[in-house]
Amino acid sequence: MANPIHVPRVNNNDDEVKLVSLRVVVGEKISRGQLVAEVETDKAVVEVEAPNDGFVLGILANVDDVIAVGSVLLWIGERADEPIPVAASSNERATTTGQPTAKARQILKEHGLDANAIPASGERLTVDDIERYLANRGKDATVPAHAVPRAAETKPDIPGELRDLRSEERAMIATVAWHRDVAVPGYIELEYDPAPWETYSKAFSERNKLLLSPLLSLMSWRLVELAKETPHLNSTIIGNQRYEYSAVNFGFTVQAGDTLYLTVTRDAQAMDEIGFVNAMGEIQRRAATHKLGPQEVQGTTISFSSMARWKVSRHIPVLPPRTAIMIAHAVSIDGRCVLGASYDHRVLNGFHVVTALRKLSKPGNPV
Amino acid sequence: MIREIPGFQLDAFGKPIIGLDDASLYAYGHLVRRTEELILDLFSRGLLSGTTHTCLGQELCQMSVVRALNDPDDVVLSNHRNHGHFMTYSGHFTGLVAEIMGREAGVCGGYGGSQHMAFRHFHSNGVQAGMTGIGTGLALARKMGKSKAIVATMIGDGTLGEGLLYESMNLASIWKAPVLFVVENNGIAQTTYTSDTIGGTIEGRGQAFGLATWRLDDSAQDFSQSVANTIDEMRSANRPGMLVIDTRRLGPHSKGDDLRDEQERKAIAERDPLMAIGKRLSSGEREAIEARNAAFLREVEAEAIASPEARFAVVPQHSLRSVRTAISGTQPAKAANVRGAINTALRDLLASDENVVVLGEDLHEPYGGAFKVTAGLSSEFAGRVISTPISEAGITGSGIGLALAGKRPIVEIMFADFLSLCMDQIYNHAVKFPGMFPDVDVPLVVRTPCGGRRGYGPTHSQSPENLFVSVPGLTVIYGSHRHNVGQLLVDTVKRWPNPTIFLEHKLLYGEAQDPSDYSVIAPHQDDLGAELFPTIRRGSNSPDITLLSFGGMLPVVEKAAKRLLDEEELEVEIIALAMLAPLPRQTLVSILSSRSHIAVVEESHHEFGVSAEILATLMEAGYRGKIIRIGTPPAPIASARSLERDQLPDEQTIVSNVLDML
Repeated sequence: MANPIHVPRVNNNDDEVKLVSLRVVVGEKISRGQLVAEVETDKAVVEVEAPNDGFVLGILANVDDVIAVGSVLLWIGERADEPIPVAASSNERATTTGQPTAKARQILKEHGLDANAIPASGERLTVDDIERYLANRGKDATVPAHAVPRAAETKPDIPGELRDLRSEERAMIATVAWHRDVAVPGYIELEYDPAPWETYSKAFSERNKLLLSPLLSLMSWRLVELAKETPHLNSTIIGNQRYEYSAVNFGFTVQAGDTLYLTVTRDAQAMDEIGFVNAMGEIQRRAATHKLGPQEVQGTTISFSSMARWKVSRHIPVLPPRTAIMIAHAVSIDGRCVLGASYDHRVLNGFHVVTALRKLSKPGNPV
Repeated sequence: MIREIPGFQLDAFGKPIIGLDDASLYAYGHLVRRTEELILDLFSRGLLSGTTHTCLGQELCQMSVVRALNDPDDVVLSNHRNHGHFMTYSGHFTGLVAEIMGREAGVCGGYGGSQHMAFRHFHSNGVQAGMTGIGTGLALARKMGKSKAIVATMIGDGTLGEGLLYESMNLASIWKAPVLFVVENNGIAQTTYTSDTIGGTIEGRGQAFGLATWRLDDSAQDFSQSVANTIDEMRSANRPGMLVIDTRRLGPHSKGDDLRDEQERKAIAERDPLMAIGKRLSSGEREAIEARNAAFLREVEAEAIASPEARFAVVPQHSLRSVRTAISGTQPAKAANVRGAINTALRDLLASDENVVVLGEDLHEPYGGAFKVTAGLSSEFAGRVISTPISEAGITGSGIGLALAGKRPIVEIMFADFLSLCMDQIYNHAVKFPGMFPDVDVPLVVRTPCGGRRGYGPTHSQSPENLFVSVPGLTVIYGSHRHNVGQLLVDTVKRWPNPTIFLEHKLLYGEAQDPSDYSVIAPHQDDLGAELFPTIRRGSNSPDITLLSFGGMLPVVEKAAKRLLDEEELEVEIIALAMLAPLPRQTLVSILSSRSHIAVVEESHHEFGVSAEILATLMEAGYRGKIIRIGTPPAPIASARSLERDQLPDEQTIVSNVLDML
């Protein structure tokens, strides 16, 4: 029967000792009282002797290891070929085998990716695995708000100075790259009669005693309702599947000084009309004073951009990453009203988009 | 400016000279009595702040010992019933009356009131036996300095029920420290007769500890002379003693609590030793003295009443003294282990400053303390590395006394769990002196090993920092193996003149002291002491998780951080405090405000603890990220290693909690 030799206690206050020498090897025949090892603390060196005759079956530490007092140092047996008992560990707790690492989980969440869709190179899915997966698909693994272009570019020969980008500027690069490399963008627009929306907005404003015109927020709310009834609008393509978001995280562009924010009002599907209008007002106020939290500038699933105040006749927005549609609203200098949409043709076709734009051009519940 | 007392001169050090003749004793005794009566009158007129305890009937008893103390370094330690001692020592009548009234002209500006006064070598406190250990320390310091001065520690018979008294008597006896325990035996505690509260005899207590013991009666004709002889005897023997004085209290304990019957009170009045002396004078002389005293007290009363109500110019936000500029030398940043680093620091302190005294249990060679921290010191610094009896409160009190006397005491408590025995000395004494009296410093350091993971069980494994950080005026230092622990200790002793608990985790003693890749976080200028006791950090500047910890948790936190990095690919930052109180708030806020996720990890029972205070500070500063506390649940720590392992936070606990949080 195999018997253990335990790491001895040298003194009361040292729970660990250093293995300074091993005098035997596995398979060696030893006799009782034979010196098998030496352990050391900062105060003393102690010799470890064999308690009886036998064979060394296994050695569980290397010279210079710091080992716990009372743990098994080596096994001896009556025969050289005895098996070493498998110890029942008393301290096993949570096991994480097979799960993504915590950092990988964060990135999966930020990209709306499914861990099962990505092959793991080892026991666990790692950041490297995700980056490799995304690189093969032309995607950047990093968070859009913090995204930095990966390809090394050389400096031009012309004299100049490198300036760091602000996080919104880096995010814009990531957005543009996704639009160019991943989505299959299309654009459709139509003119509409603004009168029903203006009437509806005016009535809503009076009913709720609002100071500022809620028109754009009400049109946005209409888009939220359309996203709820048509899941295609609030989805993206992952691999060969369509990923339909369960939340409507509503993106809305706000120009604050020279910074363009895509503000994100989360879980709009759970709000009502006035709650949504108030939430939009609040996030626009915070954007104006540059006080948006990280969750308020990332993770949009469907979005709306109005350039009505600039009096342009047309603008074709770049699609935010992993969204299917962004509405482009414009009012030209002669009062012509236009609703357009940039869309990912992998998700939506022209019919889907035109249908959505027609519905959006009128209030859902006219006065 | 102290008002001149009619009929009395002051000695060279400002103490009234009271002769042993009847006229002098009567004149001063009568003045004390009339002052007490004035105080009671002011009380009934609603002019006193709080309550008071007078020495009516015990005037000669209270005067006798103090008047005989004629060495300028003699000390008087008193208790709640201290007016007679104070007036005899200081001659500062207006200072007393105004103090009790809560006026600016009070001897302590109204901070201490009737029970807590400080004046040169006079100190009083409202906890019965609380000053007895302190007196023993003060006496030890005088003995070490070859002074002939003595300490008189005044107690009443009611105090005979408190244990610290006996620790103090024993310590005084073995140290041959010249402290006289004066038992003013008036036969009654607040309302309970002494005969119902003590077993054995009062003198028997002194004799049991080997103290020279005397018993005198303040109604004896030669009483004051006998006390003077006793003081002379004690001073020349340079040994401790106990003097029991039988006396009687004429008035109530405080006010309205005199339950004694009419007949007994009548007998006490008939015994009145002050009146007996007065009757020995001619009526002309007596009346002249009384008229003189009455005129004096009218002036005292007017002066006290004219003094404005005591107010703070600015309400103090702490009572800590600033860092001293004293040169304290440099300790090596790296050491083979923390035990050795502390040992070297103690050796350097003892070698460089003869005021450094190390007290504790079993410190002597060849044992060198339970954890061998004082190994090799007792022989090299004989007389200054002192092995003491098992008297945690007594040696803490003695440490306070040594500190008050200008020494630099370092008290070792064998296990931090036993700090509970020292709590009254820390909570009601060490921090109260500097808090109340601007001229009094208590540079006391109490070193103690703490923490678990050794299977020592419920009373030898605790991390009690959570209790001590909440004591106003107390500093709590708890370094790790990544700090320069030797330097922390040297700076505490030499440059931080505040009562300090210095915690040392048992498991760190064997760890190599090595700053590794940690760097010091720039201390904020508003954080007192932050430059001496640095907060350090390592790891990512934009971490996924910040692990904030201290002391013996740090090796565990480092293991957890490695797993979070290696297994979970997280960016991890570790921040380690050395000073838990006062908390370096602004230093922490400046670095933590920008962090998204913070876990505070401590080994202590963490409810109401250090982590709560740190996180509350952050929240008040507007922090919006996610937080978590990891500590030990509020149940006794088990002995079995396997059970203890389940209770104390380990690397797995930290990893799991962090993953749950993310």
